[in-house]
Amino acid sequence: MSPSNKNDQLDLGLRKFIKDLGYIAGGSVLLASTPWLQSCTPEKLEEIKGQKARIAFIGTGSRGVYHIHNLLNIPHAEIVALCDNYPPNLKTASDLCPKAKTYTDYKKMLESKDIDGVIISTPLNWHAPMVLDSLAAGKHTFCEKAMALTMDECKSIYDSYQKTNKVLYFGMQRLFDEKYIKALQMIHSGLIGDVVGMRCHWFRNNDWRRPVPSPELERKINWRLYKESSAGLMTELATHQLEVSNWAMKRIPDSVIGMGDIVFWKDGREVNDSISLTYHYKNNVKTTYETLISNKFNGMGEQVLGNKGTMELAKGQYFFEDAEPAPAILQLINQMESKAFSTVPIAGPSWVPEIATQHKPHYVIDGPISINPGISTTGVDKDGSDLLLSAFCQASITGEKAKNIVEECYCSTVLCLMGNQAIEQQKKIDFPEKYKIPYLNF
Amino acid sequence: MNHPYSNYYESSSLFHGSLLNIMGTRFDILFVIENKEIGEALWDNIQTELIRLDKLFNRFDIESEVSQINSSAFLSPYIVSSEMWDILLSCKKYHQQTYGLFDITLQNLNRVLLNIKDKSIIFVDKDLHIDFGGYAKGYAIDKIKNILIENNVQNSLVNFGNSSILALGKHPYGDCWSIGIENPYQKGEMLGEYKLKDEALSTSGNMPSNSKHLVNPFTGNFNEEKKMVSIITKDSTDAEVLSTSLMIAQIEKREEILHHFNTSKIFVYNL
Repeated sequence: MSPSNKNDQLDLGLRKFIKDLGYIAGGSVLLASTPWLQSCTPEKLEEIKGQKARIAFIGTGSRGVYHIHNLLNIPHAEIVALCDNYPPNLKTASDLCPKAKTYTDYKKMLESKDIDGVIISTPLNWHAPMVLDSLAAGKHTFCEKAMALTMDECKSIYDSYQKTNKVLYFGMQRLFDEKYIKALQMIHSGLIGDVVGMRCHWFRNNDWRRPVPSPELERKINWRLYKESSAGLMTELATHQLEVSNWAMKRIPDSVIGMGDIVFWKDGREVNDSISLTYHYKNNVKTTYETLISNKFNGMGEQVLGNKGTMELAKGQYFFEDAEPAPAILQLINQMESKAFSTVPIAGPSWVPEIATQHKPHYVIDGPISINPGISTTGVDKDGSDLLLSAFCQASITGEKAKNIVEECYCSTVLCLMGNQAIEQQKKIDFPEKYKIPYLNF
Repeated sequence: MNHPYSNYYESSSLFHGSLLNIMGTRFDILFVIENKEIGEALWDNIQTELIRLDKLFNRFDIESEVSQINSSAFLSPYIVSSEMWDILLSCKKYHQQTYGLFDITLQNLNRVLLNIKDKSIIFVDKDLHIDFGGYAKGYAIDKIKNILIENNVQNSLVNFGNSSILALGKHPYGDCWSIGIENPYQKGEMLGEYKLKDEALSTSGNMPSNSKHLVNPFTGNFNEEKKMVSIITKDSTDAEVLSTSLMIAQIEKREEILHHFNTSKIFVYNL
């Protein structure tokens, strides 16, 4: 496939994605439930046709290179600069984009006038200084999740964002994943009744380590395992799932209790390899969060529990508690929910009852669904990451901020850090007044 | 157990009610209503009515009125309820209008005597029994339609086991209810679509899994043709009676039968 064909394809991908969500040009009724997509509609993309966002990367490790691969397929972006202080990673990235200027000092790179947007994929302790410096340098900024290592840093980022006119994105790719968007729309329309609980889990069976060429690089390469640079499994994995939990509940938890320990990987690491938390919402609905990296049987999942059914978000499947609505009737209901009208195939000779099969799955999306098994520590295809990046590049040209992304990331990161506090202090932690922001309700 | 299920969809003001096991099949209703509580109260009414009618018509339930008739009416008059009386009279009328093809005894309705004085029924032959299989769903839908209209529901779709459908008003985003019909012998093949507005649709036919359920009262044999008949009329009971009768009627008889009914559309599929 030639590069230009590839470009067309991704371009079509973004259009198709928004179209599949029921978006109708001019009448963005359905985007009301996904306001962060309002700034990257196909019409707005058409307006900037031919223009390219000049993108620079800070951090070209595994996640940075994953983003580079996605970005090379985005027609409205070009990679102009790369920065990393670990030479092998910088070389890998430079080989992928030989025209880009290379830097080892990100501050030097930020001085360049030829950069529109900056993509940050660095250890968590670097997020706050780099995001703040990048915004201060007048760059549109994309940073990987979680937002930052401490609540104070998160608050500084949030406050700076209120003052800046620059775009700020975080790597909350579930917001751009079709199966999540559709499933959440279905939940909010009442498909599974009242949301009465949620279970999130992420299980892997590996040591979460990267090979280290020489011992003095241990903390640099395996930054995820040490508290000076990482908040562990909470910020690396739970951020995504707590974000989805709040999305499903349409509110933010007011407290958390739980436990965490090092159960299996006693190799000198500082962060827990086993965590069990319960988040409490003011309406008394609870989200349980469980992660363990020495057993992978349960994989990754997010179940929204309703009094009429269960939505398995990561699988794009849902189940009804008792009676199963007939498929054609469901089709008709979904049609009306998306304000559409077409023929439903329900007529025929009399229906004869079958033996009821308990808990038969129904699917959120017709056709193949891309499911993230949760094993990769870098990223997977078609999980929304490519579309999120495309939207950021588009915003780096238009300068139009995306609604809710910063707020979603802020809330889920603070909740992750509260979870770690509950573990460390062995007590219930309430959402600190000091860090509450005017977003959603408690 | 009827396995009741219901849900209200706020954003489209849509109520969905379903009974999974009623009159031998499933029942689904969708109606547009402003408020969830009103919808639930109406759904309660509808369920009560369906359960009452099941009690009247279900010949597998020994306590139902039809079972009582079947076990008591041979050579001894059985006094029926006034609703059952009206039903029996209407079945007699349909029997005449269809030249004997619609027959609730599946043999010979003329061997069933009705006495208007005390509203009683007598079977003249020992092995007679009555079966409202080709009638009850249409009758029930007409009753549900009245409940909907009394409660000012303007737009509703009722699906009784796929074979009996009522389209009241229109789809909220269309100008009618558009109902597709699938070939029972070829899954996924659409044979046609009907644009319905304040109309009833009844379909009768055989399926690969169920080809012995339509009896020709004149021969006593099952009709096992790979055929399907759909009828669209204003009245659900008419549609029900016609789809069964025309499924077994000779081609030349169809026109004569239709002559007795108001503005019906007929679709015959040879599969």
